[in-house]
Amino acid sequence: MEEVDRIIIHSLRSIGCDLEDDIQSLRQFGTELIVATVVRCLKMIVGDIDLPSTLPPGMSARFRLGASLANQVQDLGYKGGDLGYQTFLYSNETEIRRIFMFLVEKLPKESSQSSDEPMGSSVLLQRAISSEVATHLSAAWTPPFLKEKGIRSRAKLPGWQREGACCLQHYHSCHVKTPVAVGNLSIKLPKELRAYYSKRMPYVTNQTSRHKDTAPSVMETNSLEVAVQQDWDNEWNQVGLASRLSQQEFKKRKQDRLLKLIRERLLQDNQRREKSGGLGAAGDLQQLLNSIESQAGTAAVKTKGSRFANTEKLQYGKDEEKTLSQVGAAVPTKDTEEEMEQKRQEELDGLRSDLAQLTSDLEQLDLEVRKFRASKLQMEEAISAEQNDREQKQAAHSVKKRTLDLLPDAEANISKLQLVVDNSAQRLVNLAKQWETHRGPLIEQYRELRQYNSKRESEAQKKLEEIKQFRERMKEVADDARKKDELQKQLVSEYERMTKDVNRSAYTRKIMEIVSNIKKQKQEIDKILVDTRSVQKEINSLTGKLDRTFTVTDELVFRDAKKDDGVKKAYRFLAALHENFEQLIKMVEDTGAVVREIKDLEDQIETESNKKVLQNLEKITADFQEMKNENTTLIAKVKGKK
Amino acid sequence: MELGASVLENISLAGDVAHIPDKLFEKFVICACQGVLFEKHRDVVADNPAFKDLERAILKAAYSGLVTLLLEAAKHDTTEQNLSALLEECKYTPERIKEFNKIFLAQKSHIQLLLGKVGSSFPHIVDVDWRLDYYMKNNHMEKVNAAVYLISLKTEVPGESELRDVQFSCSLEQLQDLVGKLRDATKCLEKIAQV
Repeated sequence: MEEVDRIIIHSLRSIGCDLEDDIQSLRQFGTELIVATVVRCLKMIVGDIDLPSTLPPGMSARFRLGASLANQVQDLGYKGGDLGYQTFLYSNETEIRRIFMFLVEKLPKESSQSSDEPMGSSVLLQRAISSEVATHLSAAWTPPFLKEKGIRSRAKLPGWQREGACCLQHYHSCHVKTPVAVGNLSIKLPKELRAYYSKRMPYVTNQTSRHKDTAPSVMETNSLEVAVQQDWDNEWNQVGLASRLSQQEFKKRKQDRLLKLIRERLLQDNQRREKSGGLGAAGDLQQLLNSIESQAGTAAVKTKGSRFANTEKLQYGKDEEKTLSQVGAAVPTKDTEEEMEQKRQEELDGLRSDLAQLTSDLEQLDLEVRKFRASKLQMEEAISAEQNDREQKQAAHSVKKRTLDLLPDAEANISKLQLVVDNSAQRLVNLAKQWETHRGPLIEQYRELRQYNSKRESEAQKKLEEIKQFRERMKEVADDARKKDELQKQLVSEYERMTKDVNRSAYTRKIMEIVSNIKKQKQEIDKILVDTRSVQKEINSLTGKLDRTFTVTDELVFRDAKKDDGVKKAYRFLAALHENFEQLIKMVEDTGAVVREIKDLEDQIETESNKKVLQNLEKITADFQEMKNENTTLIAKVKGKK
Repeated sequence: MELGASVLENISLAGDVAHIPDKLFEKFVICACQGVLFEKHRDVVADNPAFKDLERAILKAAYSGLVTLLLEAAKHDTTEQNLSALLEECKYTPERIKEFNKIFLAQKSHIQLLLGKVGSSFPHIVDVDWRLDYYMKNNHMEKVNAAVYLISLKTEVPGESELRDVQFSCSLEQLQDLVGKLRDATKCLEKIAQV
């Protein structure tokens, strides 16, 4: 029972019951403590419950509290005998133990539940955040002038931490470049690129215009690469592998598709615009352009006008001033402007006609040039044709000349020629033969090689398939490994958190102890059983022996007793002896039974005394007295009121 | 912590004995840390004569790999074991892993401080000056007789080196209200810390 008590007390302490350190068993629990712990347990199990955790002073209130506790426990499904207010107020050990065992079993087991399902990384992050906040909270306040740029040292996790907002900068990143594929010798880099990498490209920490942007830029570049890779992996696994194309082909196809999509969209847009015609956006645009043009034109005229006016002023300034002074302010300056306008118009017209003349001249000249060029080409062709003709004629001429040279000594020359022709034919045949001898094995070799090649191709195909399979498996295994890694990490952190909690280990240790105790007890019981059995056997054998000896002796003595008187006497004695011993044995057996009964009774007395009947009775009478008193006072009050 | 394929490649370049000899590796890692941390050392590898015999392009690639690794590892507060596993995958020798861990763990908190600078914030209260005045009367009222608190909160504003004052006056009740609010905020933080 001690083990059970210890486990119960341990779990009661773990849910936050206020138990003294020297309490070792449930026997030491008083009424006050029992009520407090039961209320605490009920609060843990049910959650929201309206019960006072201390015993109220009034007797009737106590009675009510006990009754409601009993109700609550029964509502939870307690089936260990009748339960009432007396169970809590006038406790006895065994019943209280049974109730506590039931309650402890019913306690919610948060830790075991949470360890069953693995936590996500968000939980880990949450924990990291909370521990960080805790360290920040535990640090004492430091005046800002003691912190260099908001940095202070900390004792826990020795190091530094940042406080305040004085040196914050916004996240700002730029593109950073790194040399690509320089370590891989199999990829050939252009010479210029290599030269750029080794001579001109700055180091990664020197690429941003401000040094403090380095970290964000580098991190962003990395995340970008990771994200792109993930995206591509997803697409490749979902769509790419099913399409049975190589990666390059797939990429190319995707690019084509995108281009086509863009082209179609543009075409559609164009068509729509054409349909809507001048009314649509294009019309507006045209109008807008027109208006801008006209504005620009007027502006140009204005500025021109003013410039003209200026020069005019410079030239005729003095005269005009004079005339102005003569004629007076009534003469408007408009006349001069109109004249000027006219003059300018004339000039403009003249220039325009000049321009037209010139352009027409230019066009004519252009035409001529083109004509000349064409004729030149024709001429060149004619020249080349003539040259060809000439060469042909020259060749014909030389052949004819040689034949003419040979004509005088025709016979000899013919035979010579014949010889030469024969020799040539011979040589040709020889060469053909040689060619044949070379050709045969070469063709053979070619065929072999071709076969070999096709075989290798098919093998390569097979290998490719295998590689693909392997890659998939590799990915699977890698995923698996990553998942397991994460799980392991979580479990490790979980384990680290668990170590504070001795609950489980204490339980297991206790369970192991109990199991070993039980084993030991069982062994002893077995031993005793064997002992009892052997004793029983011995007793049986002894009884048998006694019976046998007695019958033999009885017969012997009885036979002799007829002849001899002394023997007769002896026979009588023998019978008496046997009877007496039988009685003795019976007495011994009876004593054993009585002793056993006594033990039983003692046990009963023990259990009855455990129930603290006398004490409880005294308590009950006291409580009854108190209640009576309360009642009388109440009655007195009521009477007084009346 | 996740790193892109090219970053991993560059990290392996830095660990390759063929490209960076053993005796220069330690110096190289230190240079990467300095380049990340200090503005005046941002071009430290180019300035260092020890590296002048090495192939520049590879040196740049390896350097960028190491810089990325340092920043990411500090960002994720990576432990020594995880870092060792990652470096092992990049074919580092055990000595180099030890070397790298030694240097990195010494500098990790510094790099984290550097990363902690990135961000934005409301003005941050660091200190407070206060004064309790007794307000007796004004031209309209002969008798006011109320306590007035003058509060001046010192705040740090991102991007400014000087503290900025936020001044206001309030009555006792208003101040109590403010203190209650502050207490609520503290409680909230404590709750977060207890998870």
